[in-house]
Amino acid sequence: MIKKFKLISYLAICLIAINSNANKPILLIGATAHIGNGEIIENSLISFKDDKFDIVTEANKIRIDPTSYDTIIKLHGKHIYPGFISPNNTLGITEIGAVRATNDYNEVGDFNPNVRSLTAYNTDSRILKTIRSNGVLITQVTPRGGIISGASSVMYLDGMNWEDASAIENDGIHLNWPSVFKYSGWWAEPGNTKQNKSYEADVEKIKQYFKKAYAYFKFSEKIDLQMKSLENIFNGSSNLYIHANYAKEIRESIRFFSKIGVKNIILVGGKDAINAINIIKEYEVPIILIRTHSLPSSEDSPIDEFYNLPSKLYEEDITFCFSYSGDMEAMGSRNLPFTAGTAVAYGLDKESAITALTLNAAKILGISEKEGSIEEGKNATFFISNGDALDMKTNQVEAAYIKGEEIDLYNHQKELYEKYRK
Amino acid sequence: MSQEMTPVNSVSKNFYPTYAFTNAYIIIDYKNQIENGILIVKQDKIIDVGENIEIPKGAIIVNLDGGYIYPSFIDLYSSYGIKKSIKKKPSMYPQFDSNKEGAYHWNEAVHPEINACDQFSINNEQIKNYLSSGFGVVLTHQQDGIVRGTASLVSLSQEQESNVILNPKTALAFSFKKGSSSQNYPSSLMGSIALIKQFFLDAYWYKNQKDVINLSYISYNENINLPHIFETNNVLDYSRINEIANEFELDFIIKGNGEEYEYVNDIKTFGFPIILPINFPKKYNVSNPELNRSLTLSKLKQWETAPFNPRILYENDIKFCITMEGIEKSEEFFNNLKTAINKGLPKKIAIKALTHIPSTIINQEETIGSIAKNKKANFLICSGDLFDDGKIYENWTNGKRHIINKKPINDFRGYYTFHSEINEIRNFKLSGSIDKIKVHEITSDTSLVAYKTDLQNTTLLFSNNDMSFRGMSEYVDGVFIGFYENDFGDMIDFKLQLDSTLIENKNESKKLIDTIIPTILSPNKAYGIQLKKEKLPILFTNATIWTNEESGILDEADVAIKDGKIIAVGKKIDGKILFKNNAFSTIDLKGKHLTCGIVDEHSHIAISKGVNESSQAVTAEVSIANVINPKDHNIYRQLAGGVTTAQLLHGSANPIGGQSAIIKFRWGSNAEDMKIKNAKGFIKLALGENVKQSNWGDNNTIRFPQTRMGVEQVFYDAFLRAKEYKKEWDTYNNLRPHVKRNTSPPREDMELNALVEILNSERFVTCHSYIQSEINMLMHVADSMGFTINTFTHILEGYKVAKKMKIHGAGASTFSDWWAYKFEVNDAIPYNAAILNENGIVTAINSDDAEMGRRLNHEAAKAIKYGNVSEEEAWKMITLNPAILLHLDNQIGSITKGKDADIVIWSGNPLSVYAKVEQTYVDGVLMYCIKKSKQMEDRDLIERMRLIKKMGEDISNKNFKEIELEYEKIYHCETIEDYD
Repeated sequence: MIKKFKLISYLAICLIAINSNANKPILLIGATAHIGNGEIIENSLISFKDDKFDIVTEANKIRIDPTSYDTIIKLHGKHIYPGFISPNNTLGITEIGAVRATNDYNEVGDFNPNVRSLTAYNTDSRILKTIRSNGVLITQVTPRGGIISGASSVMYLDGMNWEDASAIENDGIHLNWPSVFKYSGWWAEPGNTKQNKSYEADVEKIKQYFKKAYAYFKFSEKIDLQMKSLENIFNGSSNLYIHANYAKEIRESIRFFSKIGVKNIILVGGKDAINAINIIKEYEVPIILIRTHSLPSSEDSPIDEFYNLPSKLYEEDITFCFSYSGDMEAMGSRNLPFTAGTAVAYGLDKESAITALTLNAAKILGISEKEGSIEEGKNATFFISNGDALDMKTNQVEAAYIKGEEIDLYNHQKELYEKYRK
Repeated sequence: MSQEMTPVNSVSKNFYPTYAFTNAYIIIDYKNQIENGILIVKQDKIIDVGENIEIPKGAIIVNLDGGYIYPSFIDLYSSYGIKKSIKKKPSMYPQFDSNKEGAYHWNEAVHPEINACDQFSINNEQIKNYLSSGFGVVLTHQQDGIVRGTASLVSLSQEQESNVILNPKTALAFSFKKGSSSQNYPSSLMGSIALIKQFFLDAYWYKNQKDVINLSYISYNENINLPHIFETNNVLDYSRINEIANEFELDFIIKGNGEEYEYVNDIKTFGFPIILPINFPKKYNVSNPELNRSLTLSKLKQWETAPFNPRILYENDIKFCITMEGIEKSEEFFNNLKTAINKGLPKKIAIKALTHIPSTIINQEETIGSIAKNKKANFLICSGDLFDDGKIYENWTNGKRHIINKKPINDFRGYYTFHSEINEIRNFKLSGSIDKIKVHEITSDTSLVAYKTDLQNTTLLFSNNDMSFRGMSEYVDGVFIGFYENDFGDMIDFKLQLDSTLIENKNESKKLIDTIIPTILSPNKAYGIQLKKEKLPILFTNATIWTNEESGILDEADVAIKDGKIIAVGKKIDGKILFKNNAFSTIDLKGKHLTCGIVDEHSHIAISKGVNESSQAVTAEVSIANVINPKDHNIYRQLAGGVTTAQLLHGSANPIGGQSAIIKFRWGSNAEDMKIKNAKGFIKLALGENVKQSNWGDNNTIRFPQTRMGVEQVFYDAFLRAKEYKKEWDTYNNLRPHVKRNTSPPREDMELNALVEILNSERFVTCHSYIQSEINMLMHVADSMGFTINTFTHILEGYKVAKKMKIHGAGASTFSDWWAYKFEVNDAIPYNAAILNENGIVTAINSDDAEMGRRLNHEAAKAIKYGNVSEEEAWKMITLNPAILLHLDNQIGSITKGKDADIVIWSGNPLSVYAKVEQTYVDGVLMYCIKKSKQMEDRDLIERMRLIKKMGEDISNKNFKEIELEYEKIYHCETIEDYD
């Protein structure tokens, strides 16, 4: 997949040696490396062989033999980041919002734990190619709708088919916890939002369903697709993603699922997380945050309510990552790095913002063994940006690699740009 | 006496006794009272009233023993006796025409021909409530639709309708709500406003023409001299109605809404008399602190301030009368009335607002509104001061007596000694209220034992709890005489003799009522401002200044502002010389960046009730300028993002949408003051999927156009019609004076007026557009009609037709990177702005979104990322370029001497994601300050806590509402809603 001609075009700066021995590692020198774990190496030396990083260190701390490298790339003044991770998104399973035929994220029915996004993932999505050219290289493809929307999978933004692109198959089940408030109108005629009178009943429905699933997990006889698909949340091999925002929802859902024996609970949304902070800490629940670029929850809320939520959570020592879920989430997720930039403007330390975009996201999704940071032994999934990748002014991704293979940063939009700029 | 018009099924009853009410405290009117007066009434009239007047022979004399007489109240906003019109279930398909048959107005919501008197029938249920609340006369109408028809003045008595209607056509009623009409138009508030205006235009035109018959206009023109009553839904409607009043030289009486205090100065200036509801907001259930977080400051403040509203109007010399509208029970009506008085509304003014004012507003002061000779016998007999603890005993309407509360015969309360025939001596206490006595036995150890008590007139029944004593007694000459029954069935006679009357040690420590008017913020919600802010003289020094002028970006330079204008830009400005020794402040901005305010060419915030008049393909007559919502908190949020000016655009639901409003974010001002006074007129046009309703579901396949082919034809048709119209008027206007005088003018059409303005290049077009084919098409239409498309907005495929746009002379206002949300944006690219800019097209980046609107600097920075636009050029895309597109670049859009002092201070390079706005000035007024904003948050939090506590403490009323979450109504181009 490496396209040498592309590589050369940006390597013009300095190309020390070219030897077409595919097994020799590639060396990157001089870049500011944002490791992903909060560390930063100003003058880095990074090498990767096949799909893995084998050396990650400071350039002046090590002597290397140039002849053992195919390619040595000098990147002084540039930045290297682990591939950014965009969790909780419909990228790859939607193409054009208003065209129903292109939307594959919302299955009929309230409880669909057995449906999985993986098999609907389109590796040639036009949108997908515009996202990775901003540094987002991994996404969690997440179904929507109902009470249990289905199972998500963690996918690379490249591949020949969905098997090829998959980082983890069915990483977890997504549950939409009932809302304390309910809209009384509809999109065209919004009414006031009233207290949800059926909240208790709705919650009870969920509880019964999961009690049944637990019973099935313990003593299953026949195969029931729905029940079967929930086994992994009880044996700890996949996550339960609880989509909840209001403090009461957060408290009640976390308590219930912990008690029933769900091993890995992840909170998704968490608008009100600060007001449920004690329970989030007590149960050590990580959070996939709502989009940072969101309007405050009410006219009384501080105008920067969600701009500074990440820094508040950081101060509370909560593990969180960013997401771009919401309106136009798939095509908009190329802006995910900039939402982290905003969080930095509002108090979050820059490397911590990068950690949230990379290693923390990887931890939450369960891929931190192989992805999420530039560390020896991990997959060489990273990108090179000419400038600060969290700032739209300087985010210029020059090259990106997924598992050691360079990916094509060309896309439909660049093609049109080139055609019409003449 | 009059003859009977109706046949009587018996012998005729023609004797009407005269009544003389003596020993009365008579409130003649709000100014005068007679302490010991006599009121003489016969049939439906007051014969006489005075102190020592002669009582006619044979009169029935009623001694009121010092009781009070009031003139009965008048309610001008009622639907008493009128059947409610029921909204038909809306069809799944659009409805363009009226379902009403006959030669009437084309719109179902306009029906001046409806007369309340035709529909009126006495309603015995509704009447009770009015009578027990003290009303004698109401003005009733069918509260449905926009031009509603006439209202009738009716007396609240249960006779034949013909006797009850005092004046069949007393007033005309209007509103902005389309009510039961199922027709699509209007689908927005601005549509309602346009519909009303066009109605007044047409009614005037109708008088001078002979070609058409329309019964609606005939009706209206017949009744044109009646008072016009206009209903408001919220306080912002006042200025909307005022504009109509000024345009058509009409006097309106306003049905208020209880929020008048918020814009009381404006309302005072408008000078409308107001029919004021007193249905003060109910308190919320504040027992759950978690839910309380959803209770907004605006709702809390409204709850606290609303009871002061009548007083505030009074203190501002605003003429108002009171209506019971919105209140269901008479107890609540009196409670609220007393609350208003406790909050400082003088009693006299309350009486005036219930009697005199309503009678004069509708020109009926000769017959009602006070107790005077020859007026209608409409009055109340009360136990005492009605606004204290007095009670209404009787409500006389049209000379007919209605008993409201039974007058107690006597005050029996006191200590009694009980003697029975078997020589028992016991002690009893009769206490409680005068008409609801409670009997207690005082035992030997002086404790009290309660008895079940029932007092019926003079018969007192009382029994103890175990029913071992069952007593019955009658009051005869000062003593209760009776017997009781014991368990053995013995009937034992007893007497109860009064020892001493009860000395009430009434709890005089009445709860302290706060009478200080709460602080009213502008707007009255979170982040509202307390004092009107001033245009400060300031010298900003040592800043990196993005001038947008030839001088480019200046390092360590200064800017001076005064009276809302920039007065100097340069290095090392000497403030003392510049400000001529007048006071000014210096703000050192070392390390900071200073720019002009951001201009959003395409915004939909700060709009009330509908951004789209989506009902018809052409709605050029509607205007966002009529529906600005200055209270929208998104204004403040965007100030915090450095935005100071925005074009509020109509949506994109139809090929020719409505007119824009161009405003500055003068937070705390009213709608009118937000408008930029000398701004040029703009109008929204739209192309593509929205106007052809592609994404509206399968039922919306009826409205023309459904294809891009049809869209083109809509434009040609509209502009050709406009040309014809223009010709017609030109011909008329060029007639020689004597001919003109004898020629009736052509009909004035607001829609065509706006289109003619486009043709004359007096109104500029902002056109929502995506695909190159349609952009190209519209430029052809415009070229053939002789005007220019000022701005293509969104213009996502502009990069494909940039050269053509350049030749045509259009500007562009685009999204930075939106795409893929619908089919027509599949070829949208983030390099669009760069390509357009390279082609020499004035290019802006806009928001169309309330959240993105506060980060437009981010969006501009994307032009650097996608297409390598220089920082200066990128910055112009959200400042100078949109200012040029709005024809406001002589006033805003750069930092140069003479321009408006719309200034933003940034913590760093404004195109960086890390930059924060520290201060935003509009016209030299500090509208946002990052530090003060935090202080305001603290202020608001403390205020909320105070109010929640106060609400929780309030035990005066046991009713409360459950907390709801405020829904953030965020409009986009495509938001369609059904407006009611």
